Amino acid sequence: MDLYFITFAVMAVGAGIFTISAREALASALGLLTVFVACAALYLHLHAPLIAIFQISIYAGAILVLVVFVIMLLMSPDDRLEVIQENMSYRIMGVFLVAAMIGLVVKALKDVKEHGAVSLPDGFGSPGQIGEFFFRDYLLHFEVASVLLLVALIAAIYLGKKKL
Amino acid sequence: MATLNYYIVLASILFGLGAIGFLTRRNALILFMSVELMLNSVNLMLVAFSQFRAEMAGQVMVLFIYAVAAAEVAVGLAILIVLFRHVKSVNINKFNVLKW
Repeated sequence: MDLYFITFAVMAVGAGIFTISAREALASALGLLTVFVACAALYLHLHAPLIAIFQISIYAGAILVLVVFVIMLLMSPDDRLEVIQENMSYRIMGVFLVAAMIGLVVKALKDVKEHGAVSLPDGFGSPGQIGEFFFRDYLLHFEVASVLLLVALIAAIYLGKKKL
Repeated sequence: MATLNYYIVLASILFGLGAIGFLTRRNALILFMSVELMLNSVNLMLVAFSQFRAEMAGQVMVLFIYAVAAAEVAVGLAILIVLFRHVKSVNINKFNVLKW
């Protein structure tokens, strides 16, 4: 067990708990940002520098800024601290569901062979190699993803109109 | 060196936190963030498997998940803004009529 992993794993879990328990939505967004940064650090550890950069620029940069923007647009300052009535039955259901899921993972973990460090090919995870994979083996998927983004763009513009 | 199992446990804890948040919070924006948390834990799992099996496909899949997450947030937040214009609230318990 290395210290690097423990540091960022604890950081991610702590910030995750903060994200779902913070009363104010903006504080929640801050917790989520910490989770993203901690995960980016773990990606660096896993020989995925390009994914780490994208994690920061897309998730922390674009998506989270959009969420924060909407929080500030929609919620007035006194609305933000409003205590939302939380139904107890939802909590019980949530805890049951998560307990079932964690049980499944624990059961599955017994069948996972312990992978030690494997020898990685040269340049594993480098932008060049990902690009080669991306535009040769997954070219069709890449095009479909671009159509998906276009559809989302048009939908967002349409929904943003004053009168639907 | 942390082995694959540690990453699986970490990712499933993060996914579980996201699921609990999604089921217990009633603020639509925090629900969104819980979904992001779940997506993020799946990404972590994919990258970990990619590293420990020395296969690139996992990392490429993460890039597709980024595209889907971006589309989801763009459309979801637009829908939320439209809903807010009608209901004047982000509490999802108040989103209980289909027609105004």
